[in-house]
Amino acid sequence: MTYAYLFKYIIIGDTGVGKSCLLLQFTDKRFQPVHDLTIGVEFGARMVNIDGKQIKLQIWDTAGQESFRSITRSYYRGAAGALLVYDITRRETFNHLTSWLEDARQHSSSNMVIMLIGNKSDLESRRDVKREEGEAFAREHGLIFMETSAKTACNVEEAFINTAKEIYRKIQQGLFDVHNEANGIKIGPQQSISTPVGSSTSQRNSRDIGSNSGCC
Amino acid sequence: MSTIRGLPPEVKEPGPGVELGVEDGLLCQLIHSPEFNLFSNSVVFESNFIQVTKPRNWVDVSEGSTTVILGVTSSVPSLPLPNILLMANVTWPRGQFSTWSTPSDAPLITLRRILPLKYVELQICDQLQRILRVRTVTEKIYYLRLHKKHPESVFQFWIRLVKILQKGLSITTKDPRIRFTHCLVPKMPSSSTETTPESSLPTSSQPSETLMLLAAEQTSDSFLQLSGRPQLTTDRNTDTAIETDDSEKTLSLVASPVSLSIPMRAALSHSLWEQEDPNEHFLQAPVASSLGENLLRP
Repeated sequence: MTYAYLFKYIIIGDTGVGKSCLLLQFTDKRFQPVHDLTIGVEFGARMVNIDGKQIKLQIWDTAGQESFRSITRSYYRGAAGALLVYDITRRETFNHLTSWLEDARQHSSSNMVIMLIGNKSDLESRRDVKREEGEAFAREHGLIFMETSAKTACNVEEAFINTAKEIYRKIQQGLFDVHNEANGIKIGPQQSISTPVGSSTSQRNSRDIGSNSGCC
Repeated sequence: MSTIRGLPPEVKEPGPGVELGVEDGLLCQLIHSPEFNLFSNSVVFESNFIQVTKPRNWVDVSEGSTTVILGVTSSVPSLPLPNILLMANVTWPRGQFSTWSTPSDAPLITLRRILPLKYVELQICDQLQRILRVRTVTEKIYYLRLHKKHPESVFQFWIRLVKILQKGLSITTKDPRIRFTHCLVPKMPSSSTETTPESSLPTSSQPSETLMLLAAEQTSDSFLQLSGRPQLTTDRNTDTAIETDDSEKTLSLVASPVSLSIPMRAALSHSLWEQEDPNEHFLQAPVASSLGENLLRP
């Protein structure tokens, strides 16, 4: 299928926070409670429609366990977007965000859009990290923030698509050089290279959704 | 402006690996394509497999139109041994290995996983049936039967690869102080009667391997279509991940992922050729040699 742009995403965060489950929910619309530990990289992809443009999201799901961390670092290169995930029921996963963020900043483009995700929002009774803390961390570090549940699919679409919207916005503003593959963006085959300028009419389809649908 | 007389431009002829469909194949084209642009200077050795379940039953797992491509490559071309395992699914709209003239009939290849080889153990599980056993450090196990359209010589390459990964090449250091542990999945006590790579490998005195390779050059016609370069079609994979044989699992992995303790010699003692990050290379690789050359050299 043709696409206007391809955005490379990377999903990072501590082990067990639900990175692979978020990917599975986004690509296959299903939740798998038991999931093998990821080693290396597992891939997923999906087409989304942003502002009338078909955009292919190529998603790299990485290993979160510390033992595989050095390998994970080598896959940051060329990512346009990162989903930095923590588990709202495990404080330590939130505490480790700074370290993940340092890695991300160090090994990727400075323009990379980072979405901070507090996952497992369905487990409200076991919440260990307040939503406000996530918001504050995101604000402090210039990240977008959402709480999601891979189990209920709450905000999962929004997390991936809002990241794409932000990348697309940066392309429109000329902040991303789409010809520099280090930015994690590729122009689709047989696409015009001209960058859309200004606001255009959004042609939403079933997978182009508003950013304020917050169900969590 | 002066002209420089140099060597004539290199004319690359497709080698026997290409003709056999084990080099420059669909997987190689995919990862070298602009969409992935991975390991672009490294050779990829790849073959088509059918995933099967359970030793001795060997029932095909996937639909008839789906195959698995397994490939190895190097994150850095100068590494003497491959250090990356690639797994991809291929859906063939018009049947396995059918030819195609229109894009809609082209095979759909989807890259599923990239695994550092140091976290993977490759074994020859059943030489007669040409079944490879792939075990990850997390005890995920795949049984993969080499596709029947591959000539026997291709399985001999895989046997050779398993041997190389276990024992190294002749150029590999013999210094006993340097631990050579490429395949770092520790052996688990098992009552399995599977053929181990050691016992299943042909001995060096066996002439079959070289003869197989020679014969292969003449019997590779059926794979020429694979090494052609039609426009690849890549798309999101809507099917599930490659199924595994859960009955083989010996660890409960997901119940408490945080406290999971993987026996991992890998993390502690990996050798030069096992490093993934080029930035970590503070020493020169011993010998620059391509994977293809290593495999094709008898």
